[in-house]
Amino acid sequence: MDTMQTQTQAATAVQTAAQQHNEPSWLINKRLAALDQMADLPMPLVQRFNYRDWDLMPGNLQWADSKRDLAQVADGPVQIVQVGQTTVRVNLPEKLQEQGVVLTDFFTAVKDYPDLVQEAFMTKAMKANENRLASYHTAYLNAGVFLYVPNNVVISEPIDIQLIQDNTLDQPLNSHVLVVAGRNTEVSVSQHLTTVGENANLANCLMEVIADENSHVTVATLDELGRKTLAYVERRAYAADNASVNWAVGFMNEGNTIGNFDTELNGVGSRADAKVIAITDHDQRMGVNTKITNRGKHTNGNILQRGVILEDSELVYNGIGDIIHGAAGSEAEQENRLLMMSSNAHGNANPILLIDENDVMAGHAASVGQVDEQQLYYLMSRGIRRETAERLVIRGFLGAVLSAIPAKAVRSQLVEIIERKLENGR
Amino acid sequence: MATLEIKDLHVEVTDEENQTAKEILKGVNLTMKTGEIHAIMGPNGTGKSTLSQTIMGQPSYHVTQGDILLNGESIVDMPVDERARKGLFLGMQYPAEIQGVTNAEFLRAAVNARRAKDDQISVMDFLKMLDKNLAILDMSEAMTERYLNEGFSGGEKKRNEILQLLMIQPSFALLDEIDSGLDIDALKVVSKGVNAMRGDNFGSMIITHYQRLLNYIVPDVVHIMMGGRIVKTGDASLAKRLEKEGYAGLRDDLDIDVALVDEN
Ligand SMILES: Nc1ncnc2c1ncn2[C@@H]1O[C@H](COP(=O)(O)OP(=O)(O)OP(=O)(O)O)[C@@H](O)[C@H]1O
Ligand SMILES: [Mg+2]
Repeated sequence: MDTMQTQTQAATAVQTAAQQHNEPSWLINKRLAALDQMADLPMPLVQRFNYRDWDLMPGNLQWADSKRDLAQVADGPVQIVQVGQTTVRVNLPEKLQEQGVVLTDFFTAVKDYPDLVQEAFMTKAMKANENRLASYHTAYLNAGVFLYVPNNVVISEPIDIQLIQDNTLDQPLNSHVLVVAGRNTEVSVSQHLTTVGENANLANCLMEVIADENSHVTVATLDELGRKTLAYVERRAYAADNASVNWAVGFMNEGNTIGNFDTELNGVGSRADAKVIAITDHDQRMGVNTKITNRGKHTNGNILQRGVILEDSELVYNGIGDIIHGAAGSEAEQENRLLMMSSNAHGNANPILLIDENDVMAGHAASVGQVDEQQLYYLMSRGIRRETAERLVIRGFLGAVLSAIPAKAVRSQLVEIIERKLENGR
Repeated sequence: MATLEIKDLHVEVTDEENQTAKEILKGVNLTMKTGEIHAIMGPNGTGKSTLSQTIMGQPSYHVTQGDILLNGESIVDMPVDERARKGLFLGMQYPAEIQGVTNAEFLRAAVNARRAKDDQISVMDFLKMLDKNLAILDMSEAMTERYLNEGFSGGEKKRNEILQLLMIQPSFALLDEIDSGLDIDALKVVSKGVNAMRGDNFGSMIITHYQRLLNYIVPDVVHIMMGGRIVKTGDASLAKRLEKEGYAGLRDDLDIDVALVDEN
């Protein structure tokens, strides 16, 4: 079978599945265009991290219902819960509905709010032709969430997005969370990614945040995909004038993972803050790009990454500050630090500054090291056992990021996961 | 009553640069009991900190000969945390700074480390104890919410060492230059802290260069260390004599053959 023929077959399969799903033609065409260009696009570049032999593009688009009782999630006031492609519940208080807030399953939104979705989906924060995995994502999209906050609406309660990958089935999760925050809005989103079931599957999870003028969006994510899940997690934001986007990412996936985070500071005076914590264990491999692009004048980007590498695992942090010509008066700061807890651990903290503008302030710090023996000795000299002392030092090391996570629930969950991983990974 | 015995202690360190072993302690003998305060004085570089670190169990110091007994049991093969739980405490000359761990959290872990798993101190009891000890040391509660020693001034670090001493209540405290860098008021406060511990269940080895501290914490025994050995032991008046005569005078009096740092 030649590639031309395979390509045609793949296109037919995607088209058939999408039609069967009653999708509008713009979406079907977008899928097909993405599929068509896939082969010509490069894979995302993760410096100092080789994932050439990972199978990140299993090609099938299928619809399947998941058992609703697989979702064991406590009820939240503003919440959407999905297991696989199945939406288990949506809690959106009446008051928010009256204000025009939309929180719903992605494909429902495609039907009910076609203009809103079409305008924002893979158009602003990122485009399908940026890399091969984004294209794959667009072509094979099979789940997702749409959150829309109309102009001038301020939501005090965090919006809880719970996505559970269904590995009792045999199919990838290609999930898209699209967040559109209008002018002068304030919203805080927490996302929790988990896995049920024992099958080995891909998770290709993408999140787009469009932050319109003077909006303030906070996203806290807790990624806890299972050991048998190969994960590609992409999170992108577009910030208009005076908008701010604050990310706090707890990257606690158990399987091999690529993280690709980028916030584009397009508007004048926009700001972004990206905080990432990761812990790797066993023989897990994880590569993370955290990028902020300063495009607008007087934009401010701040990256802070801390990671702990246990056992035989590998963790690579690339911090990328990209200052585009014309972004005068901008600032880009980053700090990437890794702690290696075993002699078989591999770590790389790699600051990358791409600066094409003179009138900027940029700085970076990076380190890869071991727990300081002097510190351990000091703690132990007070009777504290080595394990406890190590945990205190590690928690202190991660503390700078932990304490900055606004959602208290996410923060305490994260602390629990960290404690568990440290307990197991010694 | 608890006892701490140092017997013919010889200690080496390995020089990082040329990987050769260097003997620092050359046969130290000393016996302490709870209820007693011992002062150790001696010229710079003579091995005072080495002695205290070796008793505590700092892994860079290797015991090549002799023994350290706590209540008759040898502790030289025990790791530092176990020695601490058995009742030893070292107030360090240079305490470590630990980012992200609050002083209070650390103190609680230290207090709990000596207690059984099912008998951990309650938050209320801990705070009560903490408040009492903060008051003795004239420290503000804010200090306990700061990260452990991070950004503490020299004097604040010393005060914080004594706070730990009061919280942990060891049998023996080795206090290494707890007075260095303290202003006169802080010196009084720190002395007050140590004196608050004084009693039948507490003994201390106080390393200092200055008679002044010993005016506030009056020692029962004073030892002079030179060249890696204790060369003279006496009562509190020995420290006063030293203040007058200096080490050179004392050495010549005693006819000891060691070079002093400022003669080199
Ligand atoms: N870890 C080490 N590595 C190499 N040399 C060491 C080490 N610790 C101590 N020494 C050396 O051992 C000798 C004794 O040092 P120590 O710190 O015990 O002296 P001290 O009596 O406490 O002096 P001071 O009054 O200046 O504090 C010094 O020459 C010192 O340089
Ligand atoms: Mg010393």
